[in-house]
Amino acid sequence: MHILATEGLTKRFPTVTALDQLTVTVGTGVTGLVGANGAGKSTLIKILLGLLPASSGTAKVLDLDVATRGADIRRLVGYMPEHECLPPDVSATEFVVHLARMSGLPRTAARERAADVLRHVGLAEERYRSIGGYSTGMKQRVKLAQALVHDPKLIFLDEPTNGLDPRGRDEMLALIRRIGTEFGISVLVTSHLLGELERICDHVIVIDAGRLLRSSAITEFTQATRTVTVEVDEGTEPLAARLTELGQKVSPHGRLLLVEVSGPGTYDAIRDAAVDLDLCLIRLEQGRHRIEDVFREETAHV
Amino acid sequence: MSEIYDIGYRHYDGPRLGGGHATRALAVHSLRAIFGLGRTARSKIMPFALATIMLVPAVVSIAAMALIQQRAMTYSGYAVIMQAIVAIFLASQAPTVVAPDLRFRVLPLYLSRPITVTSYVAAKVAAMTAALFLLLAVPLVLMYAGELLIDLDGPPQTKEFLGALSMSLVLAVLLATFGLALASLTPRRGLGVASVIAVYLLSTASVPIIYSALEMSGYHSAASWAWLMNPFWLVDAVQVWLFDTPSHAEGAYPGGPLPAVIVVALIGVAVAVLAARYRKAASR
Repeated sequence: MHILATEGLTKRFPTVTALDQLTVTVGTGVTGLVGANGAGKSTLIKILLGLLPASSGTAKVLDLDVATRGADIRRLVGYMPEHECLPPDVSATEFVVHLARMSGLPRTAARERAADVLRHVGLAEERYRSIGGYSTGMKQRVKLAQALVHDPKLIFLDEPTNGLDPRGRDEMLALIRRIGTEFGISVLVTSHLLGELERICDHVIVIDAGRLLRSSAITEFTQATRTVTVEVDEGTEPLAARLTELGQKVSPHGRLLLVEVSGPGTYDAIRDAAVDLDLCLIRLEQGRHRIEDVFREETAHV
Repeated sequence: MSEIYDIGYRHYDGPRLGGGHATRALAVHSLRAIFGLGRTARSKIMPFALATIMLVPAVVSIAAMALIQQRAMTYSGYAVIMQAIVAIFLASQAPTVVAPDLRFRVLPLYLSRPITVTSYVAAKVAAMTAALFLLLAVPLVLMYAGELLIDLDGPPQTKEFLGALSMSLVLAVLLATFGLALASLTPRRGLGVASVIAVYLLSTASVPIIYSALEMSGYHSAASWAWLMNPFWLVDAVQVWLFDTPSHAEGAYPGGPLPAVIVVALIGVAVAVLAARYRKAASR
């Protein structure tokens, strides 16, 4: 089942085309939306929330048309904006309870859900203090909590790791992964950092200048390549020479050697060469694509 | 010894009420915020001090009725006489209703929910109107209750009381829409307070200047229009037309329905400004 689907979605502003004929579908689970700043990620989310009309094309969220069923979509979807959006003079509890009621939850249910969700995002006693005194990491958690409080079917997270330190980033990513798996809520998360999404997404959509560059499962992005990485303690150069002699294609990559795999014989050749030269073999690893590489290749083609 | 068990994520399958429920909840939330309820003690000082001052003439009037059998205050003139207090209340509290959501960019969080821009603005206007109406009507009701209990000679002035009560609502709508429109133009609270009070002072100060200028030039009938520059006298003029009460300005108002038309037009302008302001804020 598709969580969302767009068809030729285009959004033109007076001076810039933010989305250009974007046709893409997203299934359940965690989906990453990658693009540089200004690639059209935030514009896409606003259109999907029914807050911004598209110039042309159509989009459906949870099988509801964004142009006509915006109010119904917003009842079932959570949204964490990229920018700061918290008033400093209220506590996290009060704020999240209030926004739960704005999503249509009755008073007691709003209180229970807010307490639950704040616990899940990891805000303990500090949730009774004013938000003004919170760290960036805590503020991001409150922003996430308000997006989850009404138990949506799908949440849009716009740059959730922005401004976080490495540890906060790791915790936020782990939390997003939990939301997508354990909580059973589909997630569309944007980022301009590909490495982040690689760790948590099932599917990645790459857009650039409002156009779709690629949309595929994470396994396709990171599938095994036909190279093997070899690391030895010393004597990288003699090993490279020896392997070339044995008819292997070798390319140096810093202190590492990348050897193209032509068959099982390649592994034997590496082993034999290391033994013959009396080298200390540290690592022999199957090469994997990283999304960064794919992104670099794709943009190079465009 | 107790232990906390992680019971995992629980889904919510209770009722999801519609936009109407959310709008009402927002209006109540805003009304509470105006009076500082659920906030720090400091934010309660201003609204409650002003509300208490508003009650003083009513209390004095009740005392006068009880002790010397005389009315110290009329129902119809209450708002005009206490206008400075009402204006300060509007200036100090209108920005608390609209400014934080604009300044801290909370508005997108509302709009990503079943609430629309229109219902958001409607809830805010309703809250400010209710607050102003309470401020104006509670002393009137108190005074009327006192009058009934004391039982002066002659019938109670029920018609004037009800007229003043309904004009309080008109005044509350006019002041709420205008105050919020002005306050929403700046996301900074302090500037909002200053701009509302400045517009009130300007409208009040211009009355005697225009009045005397026209009076001295010999345009006696035109001079009476000067009173309508100030919202309190403007609504008083409507009251004179509708309920046949005496004027609470120093001269007569222009008669007829025109002041009422001006009130309606001004409310329309204020609503249009609010709509334009929030349409722009929503598209950001």
